[in-house]
Amino acid sequence: MHPLRDKYAIVGTGKSRLGRVPDLSALGLLEDAMKNALDEAGLTNRDIDGIVCRGPDDIYAHHQEIAARLGINCAFSTSLDNGGASQILAVMLAVMAIEAGLATTVLCGYGRDSWSRTHRSGEGRMQQNLVPSEQRPREHGPEFGYFAAVATHALGARRHMFQYGTTREDFAAIAVAFREHARRNPEAVMREPLTREDYFAARLIADPFGLYDCSLVTDGAGAVIVTSAERARDLRARPVLIKGFASFNNTGGWYLEDHMVSTAAGESAERAFRMAGLGPADIDTAQIYDCFTYMVLTQLEDYGFCKKGEGGAFVRSGALALEGSLPTNTSGGQLSEAHVEGMLQIVEGVRQLQSVYPPERQVRNADVALVSGHGGNTVCHSSLILGRA
Amino acid sequence: MAEARKPVPVPSLESWPYWEALKAHRLMMPRCGACGHRWFPPSLLCPACNARDVTWAEVSGCGKVWSFVVMHRVYHPAFAAEVPYVVALIELAEGPRMISNVVGIPPDAVRCEMPVQVVFDDRDGATVPLFAPAGAAAGRIA
Repeated sequence: MHPLRDKYAIVGTGKSRLGRVPDLSALGLLEDAMKNALDEAGLTNRDIDGIVCRGPDDIYAHHQEIAARLGINCAFSTSLDNGGASQILAVMLAVMAIEAGLATTVLCGYGRDSWSRTHRSGEGRMQQNLVPSEQRPREHGPEFGYFAAVATHALGARRHMFQYGTTREDFAAIAVAFREHARRNPEAVMREPLTREDYFAARLIADPFGLYDCSLVTDGAGAVIVTSAERARDLRARPVLIKGFASFNNTGGWYLEDHMVSTAAGESAERAFRMAGLGPADIDTAQIYDCFTYMVLTQLEDYGFCKKGEGGAFVRSGALALEGSLPTNTSGGQLSEAHVEGMLQIVEGVRQLQSVYPPERQVRNADVALVSGHGGNTVCHSSLILGRA
Repeated sequence: MAEARKPVPVPSLESWPYWEALKAHRLMMPRCGACGHRWFPPSLLCPACNARDVTWAEVSGCGKVWSFVVMHRVYHPAFAAEVPYVVALIELAEGPRMISNVVGIPPDAVRCEMPVQVVFDDRDGATVPLFAPAGAAAGRIA
């Protein structure tokens, strides 16, 4: 048995207000979420001796900024940068720091003000939302009108369609399933009904992606607190055990080999499942990093919930619904709840295992949850397997 | 108001020979002097064997569309008149893959694996390599 399996736990989760929150900065949003996580755990700033966090790329020394606002001196603290794979990586670093004796109770979080910063001016709306201008590519991209993450991911979607016969009907099934979940989530930003017809009537952004293939541009933050399972027993919230985790990064490049259609999730999944002593059949609910619809489809294949190339049939089978065989992105995900770069996926996985929701929003008999994180130019992946204590 | 110009590439210390060759309408790729590996974009070391032996070799300019998207949303004013246009990942016959545009064909006729050939777009002192269906007139685009 892996020595770290079930040794650490998540003991508190928090969200900020989500959606359009123009009165709070990216750091303010994260303060809000972190305070909510502390309150839920019954802890205060004086109990925290580690911070691992992330925000928009133009906030330097992010962990110092947030620690100063919360008034915390840390034995262990760092900001991290692995794109959408960062937030699970933060939990992994927290476990590693505690295991190494560097800290005892670590606050992890991510906050962004994507809606506010892209809606302050007309020019802001034209920009790729979060990449500071000095960090944008100046060759091998802009000269071709190749902008924005939507195009990068759409290249993968198109290749998958070509190789496996995947269609936009499959992508529509994902968007519609997650919207149905968001309609049951009072915190979700998008709660209007979404039909297949709405999906196909919407404008195209970067074909094969249209409006509803794209995650939301929202303000928001999420936070979780990691400590030992032993200490967790004495705290207020029902702890959720960390059973397995891993990361794998196809950092050689998205354009190389078959990375666009078989992502780094495959290698990451194998390692995380091995640590947890579990397999795909043991997962009761999945919170999958859904920056775009297609990325859910390929990850479901890469995690082994169906064979490579059969993701389309799998998502159209109704598997992703709350009553389906694999209730997925039960909060509405980044496509319909809010896009907080994977942090809210961790929060949702924990809360489903704590059974905190009313019946219409609660996965029944949820003992094991899978959370995935994906990003960093689409090549970085992280996996987290959580279990009911 | 001045007409918006398409972005002109800004070469890096590793990529300038690539852009210089393009001005002469030659598509050159890095090739490792030690192991023969070809790659793109240019960098100081060979990504296969890490030798410090970058050489430059002209490629045929023939390739195929590995994947493509049709851009409908305008992210830069210079492309407002171009939408919908095709951004593609081209796999060159010699191996490396590169981002470019597929031109000279309606966007809805572009397919994965379609054979293409480089064409050169001279633009504000730089030359940008674009791709057209193989068999179409090669050379400078209209």
